[in-house]
Order: sequence, then structure tokens, then C-alpha cells
Amino acid sequence: MKITDYSIENELMYSGHNACPGCGGALTVRYLTRALGPNMALAITASCWSIIAGAPPLTALKCPILHCPFPSAGAVGSGLRRGLNAKGHYDTTVVVLAGDGGTFDIGLQALSGAAQRNEDYIFICYDNEAYMNTGMQTSSATPFGARTSTRPYPLFKHGQKKDIMRIMAAHGIPYAATASLAFPQDMENKLKKAQGIKGFRFMHVLSPCPPGWGTDSSETIHLSRLAVFTNFYPLYEIINGEQWQMTYYPEKTRTPLKEYLEAQRRFRQVDEMTIEALQEEVDRDWEGLLKRVNSSGETK
Amino acid sequence: MSGKTNEALLNYLYARGSEASSLNKTGGWRLAAPEKIKRLSPCRHDCLLHSEVPDWMEAVKGGRWEDAWQIMSRSNPFPALTGHVCFSPCTENCNRGRLDQELEIPAVERAIGEWRFDHYQPRRGPRAVKDPVAVVGSGPAGLSCAFYLSDHGYKVTVFEKSSISGGMLALGIPEYRLPREVLNKELAILEEEGITFITNRTLGEDLMLRELNNDFREVFLATGAWLPRQEKLAGAEHKSVYHALDFLSLFNTRQHVEIKDPVVVIGGGNAAVDSARSALRMNGINHVSLIYRRSRAEMPANPGEVEMAEQEGVELVFNANPAEVVTETASGSISAVLFNHSKTNREGLVLDTSRTFKKECGSVILALGQEPDYSVFDPLEEEMSLFAGGDLVSGPATVPEAIRAGRLAAFSIMAKIESRPGPDVFGISEQPVAFEELNLLGRSDLELQDRQKEPVLEAGRCLGCGTCNTCGICYLFCPDVAVEWINNNYEFNLDYCKGCGICVTECPARALQMEGGY
Ligand SMILES: Cc1cc2nc3c(=O)[nH]c(=O)nc-3n(C[C@H](O)[C@H](O)[C@H](O)COP(=O)(O)OP(=O)(O)OC[C@H]3O[C@@H](n4cnc5c(N)ncnc54)[C@H](O)[C@@H]3O)c2cc1C
Ligand SMILES: Cc1ncc(C[n+]2csc(CCOP(=O)(O)OP(=O)(O)O)c2C)c(N)n1
Ligand code: SF4
Ligand code: SF4
Ligand code: SF4
Ligand SMILES: [Mg+2]
Repeated sequence: MKITDYSIENELMYSGHNACPGCGGALTVRYLTRALGPNMALAITASCWSIIAGAPPLTALKCPILHCPFPSAGAVGSGLRRGLNAKGHYDTTVVVLAGDGGTFDIGLQALSGAAQRNEDYIFICYDNEAYMNTGMQTSSATPFGARTSTRPYPLFKHGQKKDIMRIMAAHGIPYAATASLAFPQDMENKLKKAQGIKGFRFMHVLSPCPPGWGTDSSETIHLSRLAVFTNFYPLYEIINGEQWQMTYYPEKTRTPLKEYLEAQRRFRQVDEMTIEALQEEVDRDWEGLLKRVNSSGETK
Repeated sequence: MSGKTNEALLNYLYARGSEASSLNKTGGWRLAAPEKIKRLSPCRHDCLLHSEVPDWMEAVKGGRWEDAWQIMSRSNPFPALTGHVCFSPCTENCNRGRLDQELEIPAVERAIGEWRFDHYQPRRGPRAVKDPVAVVGSGPAGLSCAFYLSDHGYKVTVFEKSSISGGMLALGIPEYRLPREVLNKELAILEEEGITFITNRTLGEDLMLRELNNDFREVFLATGAWLPRQEKLAGAEHKSVYHALDFLSLFNTRQHVEIKDPVVVIGGGNAAVDSARSALRMNGINHVSLIYRRSRAEMPANPGEVEMAEQEGVELVFNANPAEVVTETASGSISAVLFNHSKTNREGLVLDTSRTFKKECGSVILALGQEPDYSVFDPLEEEMSLFAGGDLVSGPATVPEAIRAGRLAAFSIMAKIESRPGPDVFGISEQPVAFEELNLLGRSDLELQDRQKEPVLEAGRCLGCGTCNTCGICYLFCPDVAVEWINNNYEFNLDYCKGCGICVTECPARALQMEGGY
């Protein structure tokens, strides 16, 4: 479907929501509702989206929303699916939306349980790489080198970003994928593909946060794109936890990581040597990913 | 989109609010607002008419031919003509060339002209009701002036010296480059619009400036540049030595031309090349040489035309200056032309009379350039009001420049009659949008593609440099659903736009800017 085949009437997100200007999380949900909706029910765990969705009686989405406690996303999704099935709403797509805190940290055990049981719903993590709603505290999704309110300038986070995709792959779930706001067609394809699969489906969407990252609100798409172009955030999917396939190879567009880091004030304190080390890290991760992709057989 | 919202669900999932968040006018958070802008494209910058290329490309892309014609005719009323004969500088710096291949702008232009031929409807309502205006010369300058005047209701009479109208389009440019059908359709429409054409009338002979000034409110002179430049060349008065424009006029009106093989054409401009190519098309002519006194790179003719001539078999000879046309004493007919070696240095053309050669030939065509005949201004009286334009004023130029001059004249004449300030002349002080400025990364629909035959598809290749080409990116990337996409066009909804600026940063065409803040 072409971009312009959409019209304002079949958008499932209303204007007037409470996201900051240029919010990547808002855009993530706009795309996901468009790809999956309108017959869907959304469980939202404590995060910026608890606020973005609107204080009752206002709502930002045309589909039902169930707000749920911070660590419970995985469990609430399971219950919601079963409840809807009991009522006969088999065709309703259940989606759980959680931030990186609600996915990588506090939500991990419920998520892992649901994935292990292969519950039938889609879990979407919009990853803005910190606990943004409560004031930008470090999470295990915060990348090395970023300053946060718990590691304020000139400090910065030490330690790598948790590799959530490998964790999810290890659960052997039918479908897991990464997606970028700068590649909406790729994201839509993956969402639609996920929707057509039964069982637990996981999607990770890097969602730039202008105030948290110290970037201009107009740069959200540009940064999403740079993340892919620098291999910091590769686009791929994993079938049944073992079949790894790339959906975008940044051949001609390959960009040094430095450009991505320098575009964000949260990395301001990172020195040249660290940048080099991070570049090596990214290269190593990329090689590792390629190995997994190549050993999966089916490659492009 | 699959199905509808599951209404039943809405009833028992209470945690969801019941009112749309659009009650919340988040536009109030904004520090700056996006706005639509327009910047100059390289094609429009380079077009001799400064035609709004990306705008009519956009219309053609959407199949909106009437719109395309309306936009086109603001600066160019004869796209079918220019689509054939313009040397199209517009394509040279087309930004699409940096991706795959420059747009074939004249082909789309021609298609708009042809659409117009097929869909032309005589204008309803009163025609030729305003003051009478005389146009002298029916070349592109005269025709363009007549078009705009008549389009605004003026009563226009076009006087032409030749028996047919069209100027160089009819008499100079050969049929194999401009099918006469195209010119005739154009002329027929102009006549249908109420313009009177009077042929076989020559200003200065059977038509006088005084007479025109008495009978018409204003007069536009566009008699072109037809005087052959006089050069001393022994033997040039021989009757088998033709001036290029005389030869072309006869050839183009299918009159008999007494010409013998082999033919030598002397000169390096368009008239020379057209004469050579035309001569080669005549019965009994097997060998034509085009001989120019400077180098190939210095030829004023369009390089593409020179190449065509070469491909067709015209022999090209450079650095040779004619010294004498040699006549056979017995028969009195031409036998050869004598040439000296010549080349240019800082002082100009230098001849080397020690190096000569003879080129055998049966006929000679002299294309040494032409200039305006200023005697059309005689006798000029003080109180006369005259406008002039085209080749008559600029010296030999091009069809689009003549069209532009005619348009300017028409608007100046109307301004004078209606006591209004003169017309705005489109200025090109602005720098055109450079390829590097375009942000094409979001255009996932963009595929590398060579030129397309189908005009609608070819127009679809236009990147719209500085002009919105309705790609939809601004709509797609707005986190606030504040760009509304309706009927293949967009509008900002400032009730909700938070002024993030994503649309401005991502607009591939650079057709948006942030206003009022930052
Ligand atoms: C052989 C040749 C090929 C060319 N090819 C191209 C090309 O491919 N592309 C391009 O862009 N340009 C081309 N040009 C240039 C282009 O044709 C001219 O610049 C353009 O036609 C000028 O338009 P105009 O209306 O000023 O004059 P013209 O087209 O010359 O028209 C002037 C008209 O006035 C008439 N006239 C003259 N004197 C009188 C008088 N006393 N009374 C009444 N009527 C009179 C003439 O008969 C003529 O019809 C070419 C020129 C030549 C000579
Ligand atoms: C048990 C519990 N602890 C803490 C909170 C406070 N809290 C609400 S949202 C949030 C941060 C969520 O971070 P993340 O999941 O990354 O989503 P984001 O806000 O960044 O979108 C926290 C700590 C809570 N609601 N419940
Ligand atoms: S891409 Fe379109 S607007 Fe840009 S230079 Fe080419 S024709 Fe003109
Ligand atoms: S992307 Fe949307 S919110 Fe941001 S400036 Fe443009 S219209 Fe406004
Ligand atoms: S993003 Fe596309 S549709 Fe929007 S203004 Fe720019 S060219 Fe037009
Ligand atoms: Mg977060």
C-alpha cells in the first residue's frame, strides 16, 4: 500500500495525544495501529504511553486500551487473550505495548513466562533507551556512553545494552523482529506478518525521545535512520528462534557510528577513544548477527 | 484495513477513555509552525522561459492535463512547438540525473501541447472585444504576444511578409525537426481564438508604421533577424550561391530550388546545419560538406544537431575560411570554392593564406549569420508608440526566448493600455535547489528508473525540487497526525501540530520550512 493510499479517516490514532513534540513512541503506535487495527485490543504497561494515551475520558486511540501495572505486561497480555477467546473474540488481535523498562527490566519475568508458554499475542517494545516517563533513569536498554538522570553529565552509563532479541530468540517463539520508524514499509510488513502468525510474537522498535536523548524534535526520523545506517540498530527478523534473516543491508548507506553518537547530546561526554571502542563493538555485533543469519541458511 | 473496531470490546474494557483526544488542542504547545514554501528548481532556473516545470510535471503525473496546460500556458503557450524545437537547457542540470537519468522534460512538454490540441475548446464569451493591437511578424515572438493579448480579450491582427505564418517555425526550421502539422494546429487555434492573420504584407512596403499607429491602439514589431550578414567573398553573387535562409524558405515551402551536387555549406550556426541536412534530403544530392572557419567546439550550432548531421552523412570540415567561389569559364556554372586555412587565437580569426585547398562543388549555401533589419523602424515619428521584441531586438536567438519576449510585450502593452504598472518579470536571483539538499532517504517508493516513454510515468520521475510533489512523507512521519491527507493533497492542522519539525526535515522536495520560532 502506498503512503498516500491512507487517508486521515482511517488513521486509528487521534491527534491531541500527550506525547512530546517529535516523540518516536507516538509514531511507533501510529504505525502499529495502522498496520494491525482496527480490530485489536491494546494492553499498555506503565510508561510514557500511559500518559500519551490520554487521561479518561480522553483516549488517543480508536481501539480499546487496557492500562496495566508496570511489571505485568506479559501476564496481562496472556489474560486478555484468554478472556477475549472466552468471549468468542478470536479474531481480535491482542497487542501489549511496553517501554524498554517494562520489557528489558521489570517486565522481563512476565514477558519470559508468556513467551515460554507461547501465548497468542503480539508484544511490542518501544525502546527509548531509559525510563523516560519518570525522568530518564538508566535502564538495561540504555546504550553504553549515554548520560541519564541516574548517571548525569559528566557521568555516563557503563555496560552494554541488553541484547533482548537474543533473549527472545532463546525462547524459540514463532516470530521476533526489529523495526525502525525510518523504514515504515518494513515495519508494516513485519507487523502484518506477525499478525498472521499464531503464538507469541515480539517486536522491538527503537523510538527516539527528543528530550531524553538531547536531540532536536525534528531529528526523530533522521536518528532512526542513522541508527540503521550505522549498524547500531540492524533490521532483521527471527523465525522460530533460529531462522535469522536481515530485512535491510546498509550497503551503500553504511555510516560511521560517530555520526549517530554526535547527533545526540546524551553522548556528549563520550571521548574519541570510547567512540572507537563502541564502533568496534558495533562491528563485532554486526559480524555476530551476520553469522547467525548466514548459518540460518536462507540469506539474501 | 481489516474489519471495523470491535464495538463490543469497547463496552467492557473500561480503562479506555470514551472521548477522542482531539478535544485536546495540542497546537497550543507549539513554538513554531511548518509552512509550505516553494523554491526554485534547476530546470526552471535553466529554462529560457522559466517554465514552472515541477508544477506541470506534478499535474501530468496525476493525470490532471487541464491543470498542466493552465500552468504551462502561464509562461509558454506553445508547448507542442517548444517540445519539438527547444534545445532544452532545462534538462542539463536536472537533479534526477544524479540518481539515474535526467528527465526528458521536452517530451512531457510536447505531450501537454498535444493534449491541448485534442481537447481545445473555443473560449466562450466575448472575444476580441478590447482595443485593436497590431503585431508585425508571425514568428514565435509575434504569435506569443498575439496569444496573450487575445487571451485577455484584445483584438489582434498579425501582419506577415511571407505567404505563410510562423516565421522561422515555418520557413527556417525544417519539417523533419518540426512537423508542420504541429505548427498548423497551433495557428488554427489562434485563428479560432479570434486573431486575424494577414499574410503577404510587408512593413515598409505595402504597410506603413504611420498607418499602423493610426489604425491600432498599440503596435508590436517582431520581424526577426533575416538580413544575411554581408561578407566579401569573390563570386558570391553567382545565382547558384544561396543565402541559407533563402534556401531554407524555398525548401521548407516545397518550392523548386535549383541546386547541384556536390553542395558546399559555409557557416557554423543552426542555419548552416539545417541547410546541410536539408540539402542532403533533396533528390540528386549525394554529397554535402559543412565547412566552418573555426573549430568544432567553437560552432554556435547546437551540438546535438551537429552530431545528427554527421550521422546522416554530412561531411564536416573545420578551420577553413572561404576565399573565392570559382566559376567554370566555359559553362558559367560553379565548379569549386577556394578555402584558406584559418583558426582563432586571442586576436580573433587568423588566416594562413599559404595553406589553401579547393573544394569541388555544384552549389554553395552561405550561412554566415543573419541580423535584424532595422529599416522596419523607418520612418519613425516622434509621437508613435511601438513595442518590439524577439530576434529583431536580441539578434538571432531561440524560439523560447522569442516566446518570452512576446509574452513580456503583451503584458507591457496591456499594462500601458490599462494604465497599470508593468508586468513582473520572473527573476532568477535565487539559487536553485541542489541535489545534495534533497532528502530522498524517506522516499522508499523511489526506484532507479530510466526515462519512460509514457508521459505520465516520465512525469512521475520528477523529484519536485523545491515544489511539493505529493509524496506524502510529511503526512506519514507526523507523530501527531497533524498533517491531513485529503484528495491527494495535504493540509497542516495547526490545532494539533506541536511544531516538532519532522515534516520539514523529512520533506524530500524541500518544499516546507519552519516558521516563527527556533
Ligand atoms: C535555420 C534556423 C533554425 C533554427 N532552429 C532553432 C531551433 O531548433 N530551436 C530554437 O529554439 N531556435 C531555433 N532557431 C532560432 C529561432 O527560430 C528564432 O530565434 C526565432 O524564430 C525568433 O522568433 P521571432 O518571432 O523573433 O522571429 P522570426 O521567427 O524570424 O519571425 C519573424 C517574422 O517576421 C516576418 N517579417 C520580417 N520582416 C517583415 C516585414 N517587414 N513585414 C512583415 N513581416 C516581416 C518574417 O517573414 C517572419 O515570419 C533557428 C533559426 C534558424 C535560422
Ligand atoms: C512498580 C512500579 N514501579 C515504578 C513505577 C513508576 N514508573 C512509571 S512509568 C516508569 C518508567 C517506564 O519506563 P519505560 O518502561 O522505559 O517506558 P518509558 O516511560 O520510557 O516510555 C516508571 C518507573 C510504576 N508505575 N510501577
Ligand atoms: S527532478 Fe523535476 S524538478 Fe528536479 S530538476 Fe528534474 S525536472 Fe526539475
Ligand atoms: S510533523 Fe506534525 S507535529 Fe511535527 S511540525 Fe510537522 S505537522 Fe507539526
Ligand atoms: S513531504 Fe512530500 S507531500 Fe509533504 S510537502 Fe514535502 S513533497 Fe509535499
Ligand atoms: Mg523507556
